[in-house]
Amino acid sequence: MTDHSPDELTFTRVFDAPRELVFRCMIEPEHLTHFWGPAGVSAPLEKISVDARPGGVFENVMVNDADGSEYRLRVIYDEVAPPERLAWTDPATGMTTTSTFTDLGGGRTEVRIHQARVPAPMRSPEAQAGFATSLDRFAAYLARLASNEGGTT
Amino acid sequence: MSALDATFTALADPTRRAIVARLALGDATVNELAEPFDMSLPAVSKHLKVLERSGLISRSRHAQYRPCHLEREALDVAADWIAENRRIWAERFDKLDRHLRDIQRASGPDEEDEHR
Repeated sequence: MTDHSPDELTFTRVFDAPRELVFRCMIEPEHLTHFWGPAGVSAPLEKISVDARPGGVFENVMVNDADGSEYRLRVIYDEVAPPERLAWTDPATGMTTTSTFTDLGGGRTEVRIHQARVPAPMRSPEAQAGFATSLDRFAAYLARLASNEGGTT
Repeated sequence: MSALDATFTALADPTRRAIVARLALGDATVNELAEPFDMSLPAVSKHLKVLERSGLISRSRHAQYRPCHLEREALDVAADWIAENRRIWAERFDKLDRHLRDIQRASGPDEEDEHR
């Protein structure tokens, strides 16, 4: 098994929109405000600021529609390469998020979000390779183990 | 380092993940855990210490062979974090999908229409 792929927590979605447009949605506050908050959470336009260049800050506040509670996110861009790639690091957790935009042709775009939570002490290449071995799949595997408990393979 | 950081750091190593997977099937001694790995007992003990410090496993104090035990709650916290993170991106992408449809339709003669 080749378990050493650098794709740990990944989320992929295909959108019916051209790549340039999808990329812009990820860095322009007027677009971000429409989708950045998950279900039941909004991201008010006036609280989104984007300085889309390496070293620039992407800051936003997500507001829970039900109780008004707020969650602030402040990350630093590592790479801004329109319309292909966008990467940032959350200095609070060390987690990096890389978004890759692939033109599928016919006005469709695949967006792949890859997240790696890499605390400073484990930034060695070996540690990164270790981290990259499928945390995702590991969680799924354990869930399966837990539900099969008692049964043998 | 937060408890979750410690958990992820502990799980960052493939050997430690294998140990956790083995313990998911039941308690085991250090010797039993070392068996499938080409690794010395001290090396395995080192991994166990990291896992123990993260709260993912515990070791009995009195039993002679100090069997290792998986603490499922700590593992659940990590699994929950992963699931939560996945949910957030899924919901974000659902909204982005709708937004992209809206703005591409709006480039026609349409006025923006809010439907919720």
